[in-house]
Amino acid sequence: MIDVTAALTAHPFFHGMSEDHLAVIAEAASDVTFPAGHRLFEDGGGANRFWLIQSGQVALDVHVPGEGRVRIDTIGMGELLGWSWLFPPYEWAFGAVAASPVEAFEFDGQAVRASCAADPALELEVTQRVARVLAKRLQSTRAKLIGASIHPVGTR
Amino acid sequence: MEDVLGGHPFFAGLGADALRLMAGCASNAHFAAGDYIFSEGAEANCFYVIRHGRVALEINSPARGPLIIDTIDGGEVLGWSWLVPPYRYFSDARAVTPVSATVLDGTCLRGKCEEDAELGYQLLKRVAAVMYQRMQSARIRMLDLYGSDPAAMVPPGSDLRPWLPGSSARRMNRIT
Repeated sequence: MIDVTAALTAHPFFHGMSEDHLAVIAEAASDVTFPAGHRLFEDGGGANRFWLIQSGQVALDVHVPGEGRVRIDTIGMGELLGWSWLFPPYEWAFGAVAASPVEAFEFDGQAVRASCAADPALELEVTQRVARVLAKRLQSTRAKLIGASIHPVGTR
Repeated sequence: MEDVLGGHPFFAGLGADALRLMAGCASNAHFAAGDYIFSEGAEANCFYVIRHGRVALEINSPARGPLIIDTIDGGEVLGWSWLVPPYRYFSDARAVTPVSATVLDGTCLRGKCEEDAELGYQLLKRVAAVMYQRMQSARIRMLDLYGSDPAAMVPPGSDLRPWLPGSSARRMNRIT
């Protein structure tokens, strides 16, 4: 078992977080690996976990009736996967499947939520960090939307 | 002004003190259909509480011109960038219909949040939820653009699907 706290300290997502808060977060963390093709979650399912991807890639997809699974985004190394655990109704809006072998830290979102409920300062820290990731991801998704409109189709 | 803010769903659950603090940063604004409310890249200094009307969020595609990525209606809010670095708007916002809004000055509001940590947290929590919704809309919009080829994430024809206001939401309902 690796030293989760030390590894989390080094991760940009947790940069600057106090030791006390990191210790609480580390309690909810474990290191996991998934083979390519492993489904981490389904859209509509209860969202009680999140991951920091250490290596490999995870594809986000949705099930479209009559069309099967449609991939909409990819989450890679160093990125946060999953924030539905932080927002009511705590349900996955999309599905996620390992697009390659994946190494990640997996967090018990319910445990982190419970810790946040008991410690407003931790709740503020976590929400701020997730908001910053959301801001960056929104920016990059909008850039991808522009890309999709420039190179629309059949260009593979 | 406090009553106007208090009656808006975004602020549901906030106390009278918090509403009074925010009212000090607020003014009313009206936009005609077609007006740009803010532009991509500009300093994000305003938070718009939409009372009536519809606003389109647009990004500019060099190939296709403005591309609507989301719509915001009365009862919703516009602009989260005032609270999250780098405090810049990531898209254009254009009034689709005449719009009535309460405008909160971002610098003023950030000041109040620093004075009152609880207000700061309550706003951050609500704004993060708005960002989460925008993220979902952007991804669904991606699905609209890429169409239905599950293998390639590449749209099925040589052109993009026409986008109709609300189509993403309908599609979302169909999916989930």
